[in-house]
Amino acid sequence: MGCFFSKRRKAEKESQPEGEEERPKQYSWDQREKVDPKDYMFSGLKDETVGRLPGQVAGQQFLIQDCENCNIYIFDHSATVTIDDCANCVIFLGPVKGSVFFRNCRDCKCTLACQQFRVRDCRKLEVFLCCATQPIIESSTNIRFGCFQWYYPELALQFKDAGLSIFNNTWSNIHDFTPVSGELNWSLLPEGAVVQDHVPLPATEELKAVRISTEANRSIVPVSRGQRPKNSDESCLVVLFAGDYTIANARKLIDEMVGKGFFLVQTKEVSMKAEDAQRVFGEKAPDFLPLLSKGPVIALEFSGDGAVEGCHLIVNEIFNGTKMFVSESKETASGDVDSFYNFADIQMGI
Amino acid sequence: MSALLPLHLGHIGLLSILRKLKSAPDQEVRILLLGLDNAGKTTLLKQLASEDISHITPTQGFNIKSVQSQGFKLNVWDIGGQRKIRPYWRNYFENTDILIYVIDSADRKRFEETGQELAELLEEEKLSCVPVLIFANKQDLLTAAPASEIAEGLNLHTIRDRVWQIQSCSALTGEGVQDGMNWVCKNVNAKKK
Repeated sequence: MGCFFSKRRKAEKESQPEGEEERPKQYSWDQREKVDPKDYMFSGLKDETVGRLPGQVAGQQFLIQDCENCNIYIFDHSATVTIDDCANCVIFLGPVKGSVFFRNCRDCKCTLACQQFRVRDCRKLEVFLCCATQPIIESSTNIRFGCFQWYYPELALQFKDAGLSIFNNTWSNIHDFTPVSGELNWSLLPEGAVVQDHVPLPATEELKAVRISTEANRSIVPVSRGQRPKNSDESCLVVLFAGDYTIANARKLIDEMVGKGFFLVQTKEVSMKAEDAQRVFGEKAPDFLPLLSKGPVIALEFSGDGAVEGCHLIVNEIFNGTKMFVSESKETASGDVDSFYNFADIQMGI
Repeated sequence: MSALLPLHLGHIGLLSILRKLKSAPDQEVRILLLGLDNAGKTTLLKQLASEDISHITPTQGFNIKSVQSQGFKLNVWDIGGQRKIRPYWRNYFENTDILIYVIDSADRKRFEETGQELAELLEEEKLSCVPVLIFANKQDLLTAAPASEIAEGLNLHTIRDRVWQIQSCSALTGEGVQDGMNWVCKNVNAKKK
């Protein structure tokens, strides 16, 4: 085949002198408007309350470093946030499109939402978390997790801007890259933990303008139990299909079920194809097939004695006419839940 | 036969047509994708495979994907980059045709750490002479250092024992990725023995 090859360029023997491409190519980052990085950074602060209001970060990268005894509130969505060498800080981060990465921090209490959550070389962190993927820690101890619980009016849209679903939150199953036998480097915050005892609201006039609530039933991210020990062996799967009122319906159903004493274990927002519907809904699948193409489904897993019956009562009373899947019985419910997560985990994995 | 082959095709095009006519497989290329944790390796892998990049989990072990590109079958191995598991990188060195090293250009705090890891890789016997593409990733971010600055900080100009290239990119948007992969495909057989 040698006759088909032109001679190799002599330049390939050694690489480009400046390390750049042969002809300098212009990319979007060469041409964008310059922004002052200082507006997107808190560095070297002590004993201060600082923050950013909705609209002031607008999806940029944010840096937090070398802060001590500070209360830091970012009430906007961002691209990615690193927190380095901070001690004794309170930190709120609005929805982060990419990763939040804590390095060399101690004694910090946080509420945040992100796609990836990473911790290295930290100790004594408390995090009320909404994370779309499995949180990870490395070389860290005493890291405690709870479910994201926060509301302000602009937050819902900020989740959209960050590309995060309020229903995709795996806050409670942490992967530790440096486990120690006989000990646990991480644990869950008590279920009754009062958010403001850990992450207080800002005290400055400027930041008080943001109308915050930390009540569980107002939280933008539905508060879920996740991997907390189950107090009942009865569960119930509900699947809502894409439509104009799906999110409102999901929230309403959650409020009603929680109001009746049942527990929200886990939620998921994921696209389903016909084959997935067959596997999850079995003979009921034909009812739901036409609804799949409209958008992702929202799945809610409830638990509690009598959850299935309780759910049917509420759905018939309040959602009469809206097509949704509800587990038939206590016996079939755990199978429903397993089938759903089996498909969802594959769909959302690499 | 010659009437079937358009004269204006480059040699790579002719070769892959001939391969298909003879039902010969495309040349398989083993690519190793390394870099610190959070560099963007898995996002890059998903981008190469034209898959959704909005929901990516920190890699605990490794991911592999095969991608057809310019007449080659690229087998890309994306290995987790946490400090604790970097000692396992050496399990994947053997038979690597191209090393792609990914750097988070906007994480200046870790430039020294990533420079250190890259320097150690370039000393590895099992990776000797393997062409290396350095992706200066995350150029979409505000504090991203330009490729020239990274090249200087990493002393890339002192690399003498292999072909190398630095390419700025955003794995998230895809910009710059194809330019890097073009270099890869051109240098697939440039491993100096």
